[in-house]
Amino acid sequence: MRAFLLRRALHAVFVLWGVVTAVFFLVRLTGDPTPFLVDQTATQQEIAEARHRLELDRPLHVQYLEFLRAVPRGDFGMSISEKRPAMGMVLEHLWPATIELAAAALVLSTVLAIPLGVASATHKNRAVDHASRLASLFLQSMPSFWLGLMLILLFAVELGGLLPAFGSGSVRHLILPAVTLAAAPLAQNVRLIRSGMLEVLQQDYVRTARAKGLAERFVIYRHALRNAAIPVITVTGLSLGFMLSGAVIIETVFSWPGMGRLIVQAVPGRDFPVIQAGVFVFALIFVGLNLIVDLLYTVVDPRVRLR
Amino acid sequence: MIRWTGPLLVALALLGPQAISAQPPTVEGVAIDPDAELVVGLADDTTNMDPRIGMGSIRSNYIRQVFESLVDVDPQGRPVPGLALSWKPVNELTWEFALRRGVTFHDGEPFNADTVLFNLDRFFRRNLDKWGLKDVLAATSFEKTYPFVTRWEKVDDHTVRVHTSEPSPTLWDFIGREPIVPRAYTIKNGVDGLNEHPVGTGPWKMVEWKRKTSMVFERNDAYWGTKPLFHTMRFQTIPEGAARIAALRAGQVALIEGVPPFDAPALAQDGKLKVVSSPQKLSCRIYVNARPKDKYDSGGKDGLFADQRVRLALNLAVNKDAIVKKIFNGYALANASPVASVSYGYAAQEPYPYDPARARALLAEAGFRDTNPLTLQLLFPAKHYGQSFDEMTPAVAEMLKDVGVQVTIKPVDFATLLQTASKGTLPPNGGFAACRTGNNLDADDYLRDWASISLINWAPYPPELMALYTATRREVDPPKRLKLLADLQRQVRDWAPVVALYQEVKVYALSARVLRFTPLPELNMDFRGVAVKK
Repeated sequence: MRAFLLRRALHAVFVLWGVVTAVFFLVRLTGDPTPFLVDQTATQQEIAEARHRLELDRPLHVQYLEFLRAVPRGDFGMSISEKRPAMGMVLEHLWPATIELAAAALVLSTVLAIPLGVASATHKNRAVDHASRLASLFLQSMPSFWLGLMLILLFAVELGGLLPAFGSGSVRHLILPAVTLAAAPLAQNVRLIRSGMLEVLQQDYVRTARAKGLAERFVIYRHALRNAAIPVITVTGLSLGFMLSGAVIIETVFSWPGMGRLIVQAVPGRDFPVIQAGVFVFALIFVGLNLIVDLLYTVVDPRVRLR
Repeated sequence: MIRWTGPLLVALALLGPQAISAQPPTVEGVAIDPDAELVVGLADDTTNMDPRIGMGSIRSNYIRQVFESLVDVDPQGRPVPGLALSWKPVNELTWEFALRRGVTFHDGEPFNADTVLFNLDRFFRRNLDKWGLKDVLAATSFEKTYPFVTRWEKVDDHTVRVHTSEPSPTLWDFIGREPIVPRAYTIKNGVDGLNEHPVGTGPWKMVEWKRKTSMVFERNDAYWGTKPLFHTMRFQTIPEGAARIAALRAGQVALIEGVPPFDAPALAQDGKLKVVSSPQKLSCRIYVNARPKDKYDSGGKDGLFADQRVRLALNLAVNKDAIVKKIFNGYALANASPVASVSYGYAAQEPYPYDPARARALLAEAGFRDTNPLTLQLLFPAKHYGQSFDEMTPAVAEMLKDVGVQVTIKPVDFATLLQTASKGTLPPNGGFAACRTGNNLDADDYLRDWASISLINWAPYPPELMALYTATRREVDPPKRLKLLADLQRQVRDWAPVVALYQEVKVYALSARVLRFTPLPELNMDFRGVAVKK
């Protein structure tokens, strides 16, 4: 296990280096942020001076080496638009807003998916199964901005302000964005659990467990579900990465002050430091989640060995 | 600006909360809530509060709640006294500002001539070492744009003179409209402190700023002018237009900006809401390459649109009334003057008629016929100016095609457009659709567009127009200068440096509980005198 962790840590360093390097050069391929910072009647000379003051006129390799030296310190430079440390900006959007929303959506999408998926599998081709599959189909097909707006119109406008239309800071504010964000992964998880359970329920050991006279609930949740859960863990890990790394549309519809919108706004504004810091944090999240998912496999399935 | 219903209300406001609790204050006979919070839904947050960093269309609205300038503006866009009571040229090379007395910043620091001198130092990046201030990358570098401003001096505690090396009739505007920051506070806290915790003289004190989320203001009870008649204001960022409307209809915000033109009538029919609008300075145009070959990265070719007849033909080919009616639902203006209709010195010009036949004839005269058609590579900054602009640009392209112009639309992100325009890499047959606005009041803000090569100048003034423009820059006598400005606008209209499309009309929707809100033709909203019904 220790060797596995060490090797994964080295892999992580390599992946992160690759990501920051790719992003460093890719964002510079998109062009120059200086025209954003000057008046529309600025002359070429004024633009060149602004570029010089931002030190963007230095050779690219000099900028890159300096960038690499600063990254281990968490120093991604100052945001070009806000003139504040870029990493600080990313972290203040990550916590609490993004993590709160992702955690709530994760809980909703897994906690609800388990009974729904199991019920669907154990009642195959009956009303519960049809309803569950139909609901999953709708939830997966609906564009999140449309679902979000419909929920706002229903709960904030038609039902007399039962829930707030925008903002953050309380559980009431969290409900609508979390439900919207959880919708697609919830549907996906229900379908995965259903298909996994259908497969597992045919296995000999389930028949044996039933033959031993174990209660059906015990057979399903103790023996079958655990084996049906591995693909769900994989997909949930990826979904969580998506949720944490920026559910941009949901943040936009609900005015949620998360990290996704910060990074997406930084792209057209060519705010290189914010993009670099944001992508670094995304990469870190994905690498970390992949590691956690791998470790979880060993917990769920003792046959899995990490080397 | 604000007319009171009677002296009783003035007395109540002056006597404070005890009096107000004894007798509810009223506006126009309606009881109001002086402790109310007004939530305003805006499309975006500001990136800075230090005005020196920049005053774009979003930022201005936040910054001008807290900071004021020497010259204020009324709802018609006319200059009125702000922190200066008056301004006048003392001679051809000197302007004098008489400052308002008894004004203090939110922290109690007095506003006086020393404050103005300190701000002038910041505008022109002088003495920053002496003040121990960090230089910020300002959007407008005064020392480059107005190099003829030579020095400034204090005459007494409430009088400042600014000297120039050449006559400068617009000095009252470009200096007078810049927000004024406190001297001692800025020196003590630095520009970062000023940016994070701004302290101005304005009607609102900023008390909380959650980036990308909201900014909360409290009424400045020591404000020298007409105070807002409610206590707290929250600028709430709601980026999505449909979500802003839903929040308004749910009663969770009281006022929203940027109402889509075709949503306005439905909102106006809701008895609980009102819709108001105001022309803005945002002028949207197609800029075409009319630069001579030595003025851009040309590969040895003059811009294809250097011929005045070609540019005039393009203007005649565009049905602006149809655009205003069909795409903007009437919430836009067709303006043939190069100057916004709300600017000081604006002179209305004869509209370009929609005349495709004449447009074809002019193109033929210029040598562009069916066998040798005019081509236009049109850069189009999609998703930048809003949905109506995005619908309009392809419509205009079709109108140009109708008169035989071969138009190729190339959607680009706004940054790419800026970069192309600033580097001068537009092709000879290139053009781009864009809008320009300004923080200044004077017509010069628009007319200088074609005086020196900049990212929006793709048709430099010919010598005779340059001479006339220079004359407007030298004439300090207002009536004579207004006449010159009108003459220049007429000639620029005929010379047609751009394809004029429309001038923006901004639409706001608000709760019927909000009283006396009048939109400004400026980038900011003004809540002085605004009240909230009890």
